[in-house]
Amino acid sequence: MRKIAATILKEWILLKRDLGGIALLFLMPVMMIIVMALIQDAPFKDYQELKFDLLMVNNDKGKLAHEIIEGFIKSKNFNVIENIDGKQLTDESLKKYLQKGTYHVGIIIPAGATAEVVNAANLISNDLSKKLGLGGTLPARESRSTTYVRVLFDPVSKPTFRSSITFAIDKFVTYSCSNMLLQRLSKMAATVEDDKNEATSDFEKVFKGIGVKEEMVFEDKNDKKLINSTQHNVPSWAIFGMFFIVIPIAGHMIREREDGSATRVALIPYSWLMVSLGQIIFYTLVCAVQFWCMMAIGLWFLPLLGLSKLYLGLNVFSLIPISLSIAFTATAYGYFIGSVFKTINQALPLGAVSVVILSALGGLWVPVELLPEVMKKVARFSPLNWGLDAVNTITLRKGNLLEVLPDLLILLSFGLLLWIASMFFNQSRKISVQ
Amino acid sequence: MDGLNLDVKKNSVTGLLGPNGAGKTTCINIICGLVKADDGTARVFDKNCFGAKEEIRKKIGVVPQQIALFGNLTAWENYNYIGSLYNLSKALIHERANYLLERLGLFKHADKRIGRYSGGMKRRANIIASLLHDPELVILDEPTAGVDVQSRALIHDFLQEYHQRNKTILYTSHHLDEAEELCEQVVIIDEGKYILSGSPKELIATTPGTRKLEDVFLHYTGHSVRD
Repeated sequence: MRKIAATILKEWILLKRDLGGIALLFLMPVMMIIVMALIQDAPFKDYQELKFDLLMVNNDKGKLAHEIIEGFIKSKNFNVIENIDGKQLTDESLKKYLQKGTYHVGIIIPAGATAEVVNAANLISNDLSKKLGLGGTLPARESRSTTYVRVLFDPVSKPTFRSSITFAIDKFVTYSCSNMLLQRLSKMAATVEDDKNEATSDFEKVFKGIGVKEEMVFEDKNDKKLINSTQHNVPSWAIFGMFFIVIPIAGHMIREREDGSATRVALIPYSWLMVSLGQIIFYTLVCAVQFWCMMAIGLWFLPLLGLSKLYLGLNVFSLIPISLSIAFTATAYGYFIGSVFKTINQALPLGAVSVVILSALGGLWVPVELLPEVMKKVARFSPLNWGLDAVNTITLRKGNLLEVLPDLLILLSFGLLLWIASMFFNQSRKISVQ
Repeated sequence: MDGLNLDVKKNSVTGLLGPNGAGKTTCINIICGLVKADDGTARVFDKNCFGAKEEIRKKIGVVPQQIALFGNLTAWENYNYIGSLYNLSKALIHERANYLLERLGLFKHADKRIGRYSGGMKRRANIIASLLHDPELVILDEPTAGVDVQSRALIHDFLQEYHQRNKTILYTSHHLDEAEELCEQVVIIDEGKYILSGSPKELIATTPGTRKLEDVFLHYTGHSVRD
């Protein structure tokens, strides 16, 4: 026990004096969390949570255009712009602004659009009236070719952005047309019932009777805040940073072999196992502290930057064994890299690159759900994914320790395997007093 | 190693001499159980060097040619750590380290990091780390390599004093004048083979045309440069 405690103390002193190592362990993941959370904040938000500038050219000036514009304004997702620098937008100027990239989306409502929709509504109403034998006709002419409300995008806009916006615009246009048709039908019904207002209101009620409402699996006031940039990036980059302990551990181990201090320890009877255990315990604790520091960043610092506050789920204490399991595996991985490779030049680049690859495969950069099917299967082989999955089960799925036990067992077994393999490598390595 | 027969008497100072590549370090590695001999036997305190290496290591102190200390720790921190690994009490570590630091002229530098020591200071600090557990047998591999005359003299005096405390010393060196003065017996090896052994005076007397140990050494190992 004394040997373990002495080793922990020695490692603590060495780490304290290695400012570069401390920066790598603590500042690097903090920077990653802040930068990535800020960058990914918008893509993580549903488009309906964002407010877009929407260029609008109203060539129609009629009721349809008015309703479309009102719809956009009422939706609170769009900032409708019809004038720039005091000048009314035209088809050409709208295209120019989009090409420049100053704005990303624009709409051109063609001249005569209202007349066309009114005519169509009248035609339908007349047809219905005739079939139902209601009598009375509304003025109508033969329908002309389809009139399009044109939606234009900044050429660099992503397809998902385009489809979301197009869908929203289509919804408003359809709503305006339906509304107009409803009014026509109401008008005809009012002629029969002589009660215009009541009939209109009844039609609206009927249409509002069926709708879509999103609900979450769990009843929790935090549910709507869960899927966001903070919730993905904080645990992801915390785990990434923990595995980056490969750099100080491997560097440290190889340096000790090179400068002979490892030989000194090897010559002390019954020490190697205790020293190894002391190192594993120390770095596991460092990694766990690192994890909780990153959680603290998510809880208290990111909200200051306008990002969502990290939510730790209903079983916060379950995160303690999870953080320790990830920390142990990360430490064992560093220990393994430091044991297998002979030189710092081999170990550090390969160690760092392997962590980057394992993190990408493990869904730390992009959530696993968004990866292709093949990559989803590959992700299950990354220890970083086991850790992230366990954290997500507690924070997002409101799970408990029992539910993450399989992930923890895999993590711990893998870590143990790496540690045993490392000790085997170290014992079989030829050590010389020279 | 090939046919080396080396017998180190208790409480003696034995010099293991040979040119570069003679097998001195391999011999030390076998004695302290770091390397297993393919053939033959190596015993220390009547125990097999490889089979009972942990038991043997309790009684031997090895001073490697490399400065086998943690450069980012101070001398005190190094000795506290190494002493703890030997399961020595804090008081005992303090007492022994104090004595050795004082004796080897490092006491006032004990709070400095080893990495900031001069070459001679590092050599002396390296010796102290190997003697903290008060070993019966001390094996020194080139303990005075690359140090100034003052440090060499200090180490030399210290080893003589340490020997007076009924300790056995086995050491290798390229400084043959030092070996001639310090050792009761020397063993010359070359290319892993035993060449001859005896007290320095005896070897000088029995080798024709030699006046000092260096002459004897060159007489038997030749003048060709070794890599």
